[in-house]
Amino acid sequence: MEQNQTLIDHLDNSLRGDASAETQEMINNDPELIREWHYLRLAVDAIQDTGLYEDVGTVKEQWKIQQTSVAKPSMGIVRSITRNAAKIAAMLILVGGGAAFFKYATISSGSLYDKYYTSYSLNTSRGAADEDAMDKAYQARDWQTVISLFSPAKRTNKTDFLTGMANLELKKYDEAIEHFEQVLAANAQAGTDYFQDESQYYLAISWLAKDKVNEALPILEKIRADKNHLYHDKVEQMSFLDLRLVQYKESK
Amino acid sequence: MKVAGKYTDAELLAAIKDERNLNQAILFIYQQYAASTSSFIIHYGGSEQDADDVFQETVVSFIEVVKKGNFRMEASIKTFLVSVAKNIWFNELKKRERSGHREKIFEYGRDQKEQDISHQIGDLEKKRQLRDLVHNLGEPCKKILMLFYYENLSMKELVEHLPYENEQVVRNKKYKCLQALTGFIKSNPAIAQQISEIVKS
Repeated sequence: MEQNQTLIDHLDNSLRGDASAETQEMINNDPELIREWHYLRLAVDAIQDTGLYEDVGTVKEQWKIQQTSVAKPSMGIVRSITRNAAKIAAMLILVGGGAAFFKYATISSGSLYDKYYTSYSLNTSRGAADEDAMDKAYQARDWQTVISLFSPAKRTNKTDFLTGMANLELKKYDEAIEHFEQVLAANAQAGTDYFQDESQYYLAISWLAKDKVNEALPILEKIRADKNHLYHDKVEQMSFLDLRLVQYKESK
Repeated sequence: MKVAGKYTDAELLAAIKDERNLNQAILFIYQQYAASTSSFIIHYGGSEQDADDVFQETVVSFIEVVKKGNFRMEASIKTFLVSVAKNIWFNELKKRERSGHREKIFEYGRDQKEQDISHQIGDLEKKRQLRDLVHNLGEPCKKILMLFYYENLSMKELVEHLPYENEQVVRNKKYKCLQALTGFIKSNPAIAQQISEIVKS
């Protein structure tokens, strides 16, 4: 592990003094280290390529919104149309443009949160005594009790998730986000997926509630791309055009 | 339509290398060149979705070529983008094993310069596989690696963005995430084979 950490420090340009040159010398003389070095470089290339691909994708969606929100006559083939048809088309554009303007003016992350938020229903399953008490409080929609029953010392993904949901119900979005992210971090660390899908979805919803569509969108896109995700169908029904529109509006 | 600034070719290249207004530069590329490239793809049998995907890959490849300092001003940016898009679409057609006729038509349109571009933009299929592996890491790992290696945030800044207590915790987490990613890459036989060949040579 120590050798790998040194390679990563070298990769990150965080080695001081002669350590960097010595590490490079070490890599050059050891085929196994050369191999490891190539893998690390490839991993960083992959991360940078993914980041750029996602950024280009985001700008592409903005460009599409610009294209659809302002109707522009095609410069290609000019078709001859009758005057009446032109009038009807103009009226439709006016009505469509008005509708688009109204939508643009009224839409926000918060409005999307109101549209897409639904409470989480807890299925009963027996667990530890603390969890049972929390389950009962949750089913009784006693959000304050759910929160008061949460103990950092005895936390599980389930108690974090339910406490996150209780905070979300009480519109304490920062606290909700903290609990959902804790579930995701715990799963990533342990290689598990306990309450993973639920936490991902409600994390995105919490970001929408906080008017942070840029945080919500990558999570929702990931859910939409994963057909096995618990909330895939729900997310697929969302209007990504609306989400992109909010993103564009909030980025201005 | 809002125009994302106006760039000459030289200004556009400078904006991409500089990275400060990269999104504006990308928007300008879409506004100026997406339509002509897309019509080309559609003309050669692609759908609108194909044209959309190909142009996105084209822009990514172009930016990577520019950032690596491999873009030579031998042709205009427009010519280069069209050549890259042609190349990507040609490879996509080959991959889909469509009719030999269509590929033959396309082959007539290729020249030596485009083959050089193929070398410059690298193996797209491998890039796509690698992107999938990054996504497979899960959101927390992807986020930490993206913020460090793509957004170039420092460890200190990472602590502010992520739900971890201090820099050491973030450092350990980043280490594990990078190891996880290299582990995924190692388990991809085609990529592992390529690395072995590089090491041997």
